[in-house]
Amino acid sequence: MLITTVGNYPKIAEGPEGQKLRRVINRFDKGDVTGEELARVEDEVTREVIQEQEEVGLEMVTDGMVRWNDGQTYLARRVEGFHLTGLLRYFDTNTYYRQPVATGPLRWPGPMTVRDYRFAAGCTSLPVKAILTGPYTLAKLSRSEHHPDLARFALDLADIIRQEAQALEGEGVPLLQIDEPAIVRHKEDWGLFQQVMARLTDGLSVKRVLYTWFGDATELPGFTRLPFHGFGLDFVGGPANFDLLDDFPEDAELGLGIMDARNVKLESVDYLSRTLERATAHVSPDRIYLNPSCGLDYLPRDVAVAKLKRLVEGAGAFKAVVT
Amino acid sequence: MSALLTTSVGSLPKPPYLRKARAQYSRKELGRKDLLELEKQSTREWVQVQEEIGLDILVDGEQDRGDMVTYFAENLEGFAISGLVRSYGNRYYRKPIAVGPIRRNEPITIDMWRYAQGLTKKPVKGMLTGPYTICDWSFNEYFDSREAFVMELAQFVHQEAMDLEAAGARYIQIDEPAISTRPEELDLAIQAMGVVTEGLTATTITHICYGDFAKIYPRMLDIPVDILDLEMANSGYQLLEVFQQHSFGKKISVGVVDVHSHVIESPEEVAEGLRRVLNQFPPEQILVDPDCGLKTRTVEEAKEKLRVVRQGVDMIKKELGID
Repeated sequence: MLITTVGNYPKIAEGPEGQKLRRVINRFDKGDVTGEELARVEDEVTREVIQEQEEVGLEMVTDGMVRWNDGQTYLARRVEGFHLTGLLRYFDTNTYYRQPVATGPLRWPGPMTVRDYRFAAGCTSLPVKAILTGPYTLAKLSRSEHHPDLARFALDLADIIRQEAQALEGEGVPLLQIDEPAIVRHKEDWGLFQQVMARLTDGLSVKRVLYTWFGDATELPGFTRLPFHGFGLDFVGGPANFDLLDDFPEDAELGLGIMDARNVKLESVDYLSRTLERATAHVSPDRIYLNPSCGLDYLPRDVAVAKLKRLVEGAGAFKAVVT
Repeated sequence: MSALLTTSVGSLPKPPYLRKARAQYSRKELGRKDLLELEKQSTREWVQVQEEIGLDILVDGEQDRGDMVTYFAENLEGFAISGLVRSYGNRYYRKPIAVGPIRRNEPITIDMWRYAQGLTKKPVKGMLTGPYTICDWSFNEYFDSREAFVMELAQFVHQEAMDLEAAGARYIQIDEPAISTRPEELDLAIQAMGVVTEGLTATTITHICYGDFAKIYPRMLDIPVDILDLEMANSGYQLLEVFQQHSFGKKISVGVVDVHSHVIESPEEVAEGLRRVLNQFPPEQILVDPDCGLKTRTVEEAKEKLRVVRQGVDMIKKELGID
């Protein structure tokens, strides 16, 4: 069992030192500091966020996506052919993003996240998971004025995300996480989704996991047989995900999202331990990534840290019970 | 006289002197009493502006409120306020947390309403945030379910509405912008609104922000209020198509200027929008206002947007030969 996060991490904490990223972005927006200065603080905060994940006892970390405003625009700002437009709500959260619109042919601009991965890997001796938003979710949360339909748009994006994944593969990432939350909210697109995933993974050899959240992946026949090594599921936003464990493939890994990353209420050690027991009745512990239900960016930093600590305690209690 | 009444949705921008004073207050450089004087000053200014423009139903402009949910959470027992969480880009806010049983120790909005109503002979709307939205925009550490949280809140919003009515409010608006984000919980929101408006004789209104109305129409007509207030300008009056499927059966308050844009609409644009609405609704069934609260605009922009609402309505009234 590896304890990890699902990706993003709160970017700021209380107090002046905790808010240096917020301050430097403000000053950058006003033109008071250079892009290099902004990048320097982003690196500094990334290093701190990784250290914090190490200190609480995670066994695999991410760069916290400190540089990402959201899952969509970090990539859409870089992919050629996209423009950003008005604010849209991200699913049913109280967070917003600028909707990307494809206005011309889309082109991969060269590695977008390789430098970020390399920096993060240099900050820690723990394995660092790389994260990309999947092509279907990217298409679904964006709009295209260039493509005739969603299918053509998403398949184009699959080519672009595959090139990025190949670049990360060349860098030797131990695990690549592809985020596709939109599919659990739009099950009517299941047929298209399978095509897009096939295109995305064509020729890829990097170890990869497919993550969803804010819903369950039931009624998507064959979801856990898609061409990935593992599947991350949100058991808080989608309790029906427990049904998928009954015939979870023997060779697949499970991202077990059982800690609510959208509410500050702290889960009990007992709940975590019991839920782990329930999951390991179907999936052996060595195939489980234990993680929150989704990214931690919806929580204040102090609560996020407390929740991760509790997750580690829950895993400890579970291990004590089974051994 | 009661056709095409003009109003505004609720919040109006705070003038620079009040923004400065609020910042000083939060740093404890200014006392509560001094801040209150300045809140009253800008309330007085906004009442004058609305009278001079000639709106029919006025608001106090919510000069003493920050966020529409946090304001109520801060004034009710049973809430704590969280650390900073991110809403968009580099913007952060503190989110309420339900931590215990909810109690209202004294009326919350009555003093400022009474102050504003004392300045004018026109009716001033009482402005409340609905229980469903307060729940949806808060963390919850205390209640076992969202239902329990919403229904307990409903009692206190109801008490506040009764107090507004007893103070003389003829119009009471209970805003539920969160309703359109989770169509599956519409029944809960309707049930809660039933508690809030029970026994009121004042005219009741609710404002719902733009969302997927196709999913909640016509069921949303069961929200027990007299008037539904909806954004129209922002979505190019597309909602009218949805409403064609079923008789509306309530009064509708139509947003005719986009509150997210700096661009001031022309009176002709407003009139054109209204002509489209008049194809489906008789003038007696329609009220007219901006799409949403104007607090994110500058004071000047807000005045111009309100003025253009009045001018557009006057053009239409002349065409129809009413008044």
